[in-house]
Amino acid sequence: MKAAVAGLNLLLGMVYLSYGLMTIVDLRRGWEKRGFSHFGLAWIAMAFTCGPHHFEHGLHIAVAGRDGGALDLIAVVVGLPAGVTWFLLRVDALAGGRGDRFISGTPRWISALPALSAIYLVALVGAAGAVLAGGADFNPKMTPNVLLLAVYFLVGYYLARTQLRNRRLIGGWSLSGLSLTFVFPTCGLMHIAFVLYAAAGTYTVDTHGLVIDWLAVPAALYFVWVVRSTIYLQTFDDWNNSSAGSIPAPAAAPA
Amino acid sequence: MNLARVTGMTSAGSAAGSQAGNEPDALALRVVARIRVAVAIGVAATGSFLPGMSGGPEWLFLVIGLLWVPWASIVLLAADRATSPVSLLGGPVGDVAVLFAVQMLAPGVAHAALPGYVAVVAFAAYTSGRDFAALLATGALTLTVTAQYVTPAAKVESPSAALFGGVLVAVVLLLDRTADMQRREVARSNRLEGRSDAVLAHIADGVLVTDAAGGVVQGNPAVARLLGRWEDDLVGRHCSEVLGLRAGERALDCSKGCALLAGGVSGDPALGREVWRAGTDGRRQPLLANAVAVGGVDGSIEVVHSLRDITKVKQADEAKTLFLATASHELRTPLTVISGFASTLRSDPDTDPVMRERALAAIERRSVELTKIIDRLLLSSRIEAGRVDLTLAPTDMAPLLWERAEALAAATDRTISVKVPGDLPAVHGDAQACVTVVDHLLDNAIKYSPGGQPVEVEMRGAGDDVVLTVTDAGVGMDAEQAARCFDKFWQAESTDVRRFGGTGIGLYIVRSLVEAMHGDIAVSSVPSAGTTFTVSLRRALAEAPHGGVTPGTEPSVIREFMRQIGVPMRIDA
Repeated sequence: MKAAVAGLNLLLGMVYLSYGLMTIVDLRRGWEKRGFSHFGLAWIAMAFTCGPHHFEHGLHIAVAGRDGGALDLIAVVVGLPAGVTWFLLRVDALAGGRGDRFISGTPRWISALPALSAIYLVALVGAAGAVLAGGADFNPKMTPNVLLLAVYFLVGYYLARTQLRNRRLIGGWSLSGLSLTFVFPTCGLMHIAFVLYAAAGTYTVDTHGLVIDWLAVPAALYFVWVVRSTIYLQTFDDWNNSSAGSIPAPAAAPA
Repeated sequence: MNLARVTGMTSAGSAAGSQAGNEPDALALRVVARIRVAVAIGVAATGSFLPGMSGGPEWLFLVIGLLWVPWASIVLLAADRATSPVSLLGGPVGDVAVLFAVQMLAPGVAHAALPGYVAVVAFAAYTSGRDFAALLATGALTLTVTAQYVTPAAKVESPSAALFGGVLVAVVLLLDRTADMQRREVARSNRLEGRSDAVLAHIADGVLVTDAAGGVVQGNPAVARLLGRWEDDLVGRHCSEVLGLRAGERALDCSKGCALLAGGVSGDPALGREVWRAGTDGRRQPLLANAVAVGGVDGSIEVVHSLRDITKVKQADEAKTLFLATASHELRTPLTVISGFASTLRSDPDTDPVMRERALAAIERRSVELTKIIDRLLLSSRIEAGRVDLTLAPTDMAPLLWERAEALAAATDRTISVKVPGDLPAVHGDAQACVTVVDHLLDNAIKYSPGGQPVEVEMRGAGDDVVLTVTDAGVGMDAEQAARCFDKFWQAESTDVRRFGGTGIGLYIVRSLVEAMHGDIAVSSVPSAGTTFTVSLRRALAEAPHGGVTPGTEPSVIREFMRQIGVPMRIDA
């Protein structure tokens, strides 16, 4: 159990850090053509706080001999397929591929996802009861992880809304969008599993973990602010407005 | 102020101006909302690091972390809209609630809540006015008194309490008055500035303002586009450097003041004078220029130059002349044949039956040719007028391509090689427009390979596009010709054309139709070696505006996320 929790958290940490580096490269490459991107910076901030969170958690279990709980393992296992799919699609795009796959119609496995998610949530609530049965101590050290749950669910909501609208338009699903939609809520649930074990005394919240988690809060809030400002208010143009920053050459008549 | 920099803000400024003094200070709301979130996170984070905490203080930090941080974040998001009640009222109400929690749960520092209340009420008076601030001040007093009864340790002495009440009332009255006066002034200023900025930022003519010595002090986006420079690159330079205007072959002399202003150029000053400058590519850029002296902001004299690029007007004029010559020639050729044969048949009723049949066939052939020319001209004018309605639907290009290629090969006795895979996906296009595009490209390839060279047509799927290439090994074009081949009425040999005939609107029609189907067209050509036209049309079912499943044309992780979250994408220029 401990080895699996440690290994998967280390893997997730590496994936996030790689994704952060990928976004830095992307931002740097697109800067000249499209200028600065709030989306890019927000992603980098997220990746470089989420990644270290998982990395630090995995290292503590693997090296410092701390406990790894079953709920934590399940949360990572549930989120991993979506996370790895999204990551591989980005690698595919970088390698010159399409970076997405079209899923025609609504296959059975997609239809089953809401029900499976509901079952998972109910089971998680039940398991939380069992974990906390021996007593719980909620204290301010757990606050950042609870806040991250709320923010990640909000981002998941924005993504799910787009996927549902696109399905009506195109008669199918984008694998890239679908995987990303599931990444955020499952990440949030990983944080809540962490909170449950910390409250039960299985996990210890130490200083460097707390620093990383508190840095993740403003990063996540910045991310939500960017998303909301771009989609709902259009208060600024980001890389969706690629023409910004270019200046058309004047027309010229033959000499 | 740099006009070009405020383009995106002018409409907001105008809107603010129209509110006539009722608009709250949006910037203050945003800044305070950010400070509130930072303070909330900072306090909550600090509390989480403090060792050995329990009871009231621990609860206080939980309240701050789990209630104030989320609420402050919601207020921050709402603060993007200055008139949002959540931002205007919710922020101060949340702050007062947190200060009350401090008085209740940490009585040892309860006194610290009093200046906090004053700051919150002062801010509310500034942003939301007297009524709300008075309500909030009353609430603060009530909560302070309540906290004393519930938690005796939080007791405030009577003189302090009286002073606290007095300060609250004074703050409300003073700040309300100040804010009201400021709002009126800002609204008036916004109205005036917003209007002039909006006008200058959105007019098509370039406007350049210089001081009396010719130094550029201001330029609008249109002048930056017209001069091919960044807006930031204009201010501070001399007008002769950025404009470089010439009348005839003579450079305008601006050393003794503005030449346009001094009447150094012939023409009607009211309508503008025709001048030109060397464009970024070295070609002449004809302009209609005007200048007028006005009083500057500080009482000095400034010169406002207005510049209109008349390149297109000149080109249109040239094109119209060329078109009239071309169309007359094109129409005259078949008409001459028709007229000649008709008068032969009429003058000699006993014409040999074989000859008679030949004459009638020629008349028929030339009539069809004439109809085609007229059809093209009509389609071209419909495109120009925006009256071409296309029905975009899944269209199978393979049979269409085979049919048109076979028909043309039979009619011209030429070899057209067609390569189409069996599983070619349907395109998202209009069937009739696709036929027109294919016909024109094939016609073009045949026409410009007069030596009977082979013509190759290939169609294949490429990602979410379907790509059609038409290649000939004919006369080809140089880079300049290739760049202009899609222009209306343009032909490679415009000097009395007419080695190949044609009206010069075929490729213009092709490009217009392809673009109307959300596709792209490109050309690559080598003189004397041939030309390849590449048309990319979207694969059917893959087209989804505003974040569908059409993958980007580049591996951008940032844009992919924006697409998936529903940010409307604009296509790269």
